[in-house]
Amino acid sequence: MIPFELAEPRTLKSALKLLETDDPSVRAFGGGTALILMMKAGVFQPTRLVSLRGIEKRYAKVASSKDGSLRIGALTTLSALGRVAAVKKSAPVIIDTLRTLSNVRVRNVATLGGHLAHGDPHMDLPPVLMALDAQVVTAAVSGSRTLAMGDLYTGYYETALARNELISEIIVPAQAGRRAAYMKVTTRAADDWPTLGIAVSLGVEGQTITDARIVVSAATEKPLRLAAAEAELRGATVDDAVLARVGEAAAAEVELTGDAHGTAAYKTELLRVYARRAVRKALAA
Amino acid sequence: MTTDTLGNSNAGAAMGRSIPRVEARAKVTGRAEYVHNLRLPGMLYGRIHRSTVAHARITGVDVSAAQAMPGVYAVYTAADIRKLIPEPYFGPAFHDQPILAIDKVHYVGEPVALVLAADPHVADAAAQQIVVEYEELPAVFDEVEAMTSKAVVHEVLKPAGTFPDLKHLKDKRDTNVALDFHLRRGDVQQAFADADHVFEHTFRTQQVLHLPLEPFVTVADPAPNQLVIHTASQSPSFVRIEIARLLGWPETRVRVKVPYLGGGFGAKLYIKLEALTAAAALIAGRPVKIALTMEEQFYTLTKHATTLRIKSGVTRDGKITARECEVWWNGGAYADIGPRITQKSGFTAAGPYDIDHVTIDSYSLYTNLTPAGALRGFGIPQLVWAYESHTDMIAKALKMDPLAIRRINILREGRPQATGTLMRDAGIEPVLERLAERMTWEKKYDRGSGTMRRGRGIAIGFKASISPTTSMAIVNISADGSCIVYCSTVDMGQGSDTAMAQFAAEALGIPVERVSVVHPDTDVTPYDMATLGSRSTYHMGHAVKNAAEDARDKLLALAAEVGLSAETTPIPDIFRKKYGMQAGNIIGIGSFIPPYTPPEPGTGLTTDATPFWMIGATGAEVEVDTETGEFKVTRLVNLVDVGRPVNPAIVETQISGATIMQLGFTLSERMEFDAGQVTNASLADYKIPGIRDVPPVMENEAVDMVQKTGPFGAKGVGESGTFGVSPAIASAIDDAVGVRLTSLPLTAEAVYRGLRANAGKPLQD
Repeated sequence: MIPFELAEPRTLKSALKLLETDDPSVRAFGGGTALILMMKAGVFQPTRLVSLRGIEKRYAKVASSKDGSLRIGALTTLSALGRVAAVKKSAPVIIDTLRTLSNVRVRNVATLGGHLAHGDPHMDLPPVLMALDAQVVTAAVSGSRTLAMGDLYTGYYETALARNELISEIIVPAQAGRRAAYMKVTTRAADDWPTLGIAVSLGVEGQTITDARIVVSAATEKPLRLAAAEAELRGATVDDAVLARVGEAAAAEVELTGDAHGTAAYKTELLRVYARRAVRKALAA
Repeated sequence: MTTDTLGNSNAGAAMGRSIPRVEARAKVTGRAEYVHNLRLPGMLYGRIHRSTVAHARITGVDVSAAQAMPGVYAVYTAADIRKLIPEPYFGPAFHDQPILAIDKVHYVGEPVALVLAADPHVADAAAQQIVVEYEELPAVFDEVEAMTSKAVVHEVLKPAGTFPDLKHLKDKRDTNVALDFHLRRGDVQQAFADADHVFEHTFRTQQVLHLPLEPFVTVADPAPNQLVIHTASQSPSFVRIEIARLLGWPETRVRVKVPYLGGGFGAKLYIKLEALTAAAALIAGRPVKIALTMEEQFYTLTKHATTLRIKSGVTRDGKITARECEVWWNGGAYADIGPRITQKSGFTAAGPYDIDHVTIDSYSLYTNLTPAGALRGFGIPQLVWAYESHTDMIAKALKMDPLAIRRINILREGRPQATGTLMRDAGIEPVLERLAERMTWEKKYDRGSGTMRRGRGIAIGFKASISPTTSMAIVNISADGSCIVYCSTVDMGQGSDTAMAQFAAEALGIPVERVSVVHPDTDVTPYDMATLGSRSTYHMGHAVKNAAEDARDKLLALAAEVGLSAETTPIPDIFRKKYGMQAGNIIGIGSFIPPYTPPEPGTGLTTDATPFWMIGATGAEVEVDTETGEFKVTRLVNLVDVGRPVNPAIVETQISGATIMQLGFTLSERMEFDAGQVTNASLADYKIPGIRDVPPVMENEAVDMVQKTGPFGAKGVGESGTFGVSPAIASAIDDAVGVRLTSLPLTAEAVYRGLRANAGKPLQD
């Protein structure tokens, strides 16, 4: 390990200033769970690391509104997020997802902002937050902006974030009347990166689905909405025939990538089945 | 003060008791000693620069940038090593492995150069600055291709001279075969011609590795008159002899010390980092520590991938009359102990069955992959995978029950195994019958419905103990009646310290709490072949028992000399009477080497192949999702014959530990390669089982047996839990959904593809 500078600013503003550079070897980190592994593997060698752990505490807090919408500070650790009563009430799918997200040691230090900004398509919460129609608020010296989760990812480990831009907050809108589920499919050990992730959020009136958001991840270069599968659900009353069409549409509309977890052909079959199962799971939620 | 006498009621109190492990408290409080924690004054850290290509001539090594880096003490290549050790090749079977690569590299990850620095991070950064130029050569990775490939890993074979059956390979050229073992019994071809049915199948197993949570680590300290090596090794005596040989020194100038190990599983045998660390320390004149990362374990030692072809002649009522086995072991770039696996395990390739006509051809192959060696089972799990899968495929074809076909064919007590050695104290039948009982095999079974189908399978395997091997022990009785055992058995987590204390206590009739066990230190503890192959309980158990009995006899003689009755006099009083105060020792010595008859060359036949047999069987129940091929192992029942259990609680953890380890090799572990490069060399991408992968129901049992030739009726236990796991699960999947897998690991995708193929709609890529 080559020596590097470790900055521990006390404010977000000073952190952002420290990141105002074109030098790619200057990086911010929250929990450091991904970055330290990259450094240990020798794929990233920093000249300066900016720790965000010392900045204002409000960026590690979760606020909820009466309507159930959530504003989650980006420095909230994943384990802290899992203990917030308002999250359990407004978006229980997040709590459910956290249960099998990595392990307790990682969850205790990894932050939600880092989890989203890393851009790794195997992460569990990006598809879930996309299905919940969440937004991210970013900060930079030049100012703040708000992005839809769906616009955050631009490719494999690529995001819309500028080098000097940080996620400061995640906004989860009110989920009244919606039902959601996430299914993480692992094909080797139980504790593994997902072979396929699938998140579903449904607007339901009586027996009818008014609106559906279905997101696939892990087998794609970034989390993707499955528009054709969603269209099969809109206005439908769920039965085996509808679900079969959802699975067929999902399998037909997206090209999955094969890897050591499974071939593309097999993952497509998993998607065909798990698209159905995730809708069922959401309806039962 | 003790009032123990040699004749009191403690006899029988130590053996068969679940005494807590002697080191448990030290381990859970973080006080147990490991080489990783060792720091010596002036110590340098070594980092290895490794080959990036699978097979190549080295045309240039540029270490100038590394050498120029501030904080770098030295950079060494093979040229530096050869100034100290002109012939720097080591290995237990072949002297084929150089301390650092000489002229050629033979696999990706082979050590080429070493950087020393006081700061390990500096050493790490400098190692990355070394530039090696290669002229690539054709490489061979597959064990069957290696039989005939034009790519030859080693230009000339160099047997170590230790094993007589390797002598014919000396100076042999243009071959990758590091041993060909042949067994011939009866007339297989005639029996095939006479059989009602002949079945032939081919099976594969994948490359996996040991992954002890403590990676390889060695510290070498060049003291004035002696080189002291602190190492996480399973074979301290071998390390001393081999390092002394390399240096041309007497054994006594090399001292090898081994504290606790954070797991071994066969990885930490023979020479791993010891020769490189020792050479670097001697050249530098400073203590040197080399500690590998988890990733580097993937470039050190693996378990043999195998291809196994097995063919059987069977009567219409299921009696196996003939069997032909061919086994190709993928040994990687250096032979390590592979040739012994090829023979010592190879001769059981036909399984625990009573077959009149058997041929076995077992080949140890060099390839351009990470070397392969011993891994918990010493090749047996690969063989059981093949012969038990084959047995069930025959049963299915004959519409026979898997238990029934085994009952017809198993080797019963007193019958000759394929080598001709008679089965003695081998609980094949009791293990099989108890397994059937615990599985309630003959009762109706709920097979599931809809998209969830259930199935079950059984498998049984056996293993010979590597023979002949030697163990020595010293038992020292202090004047207060307490006792110290000196032996070179390494407690790598299997509980051998506790077992050896129990053997000594039992032989002396004193409480086990009064016995302590000295860790291996070749200046102090006598020779032991190694801690491997489940041999310690039997071999070192005998040596410790013999030493304790020798001490007891000497104490009896001492009591007689001073006119006391050893039966009734407390031990301290005997010493006090002799020496006038609490003074003196009684030293008992013990050694053990079992009888053995080497196999006849050509036929492999022998009347005494092994001192004892290890038996292990597993029953598995699975649930298969017919829509995705995903399956869950819902129950594993593991039965073993370990003779009389020395410590039932430790025996149970040995069975469950072995089973879970084999479960990983069955379901999720697989080294992935790209042109010889391991592409998943991390715990994130190479998946060992976690606690959530352990089946919800796991039952472990040692059947009621006594190994009459064993110390207090005991024999080895560390590997038997591995034998039946893989084929039992594969058979359970077949039982559930009619998909028979013949390659490990068993994946959901493979099951799914099988389901689609059965439905006539194979999955298109």
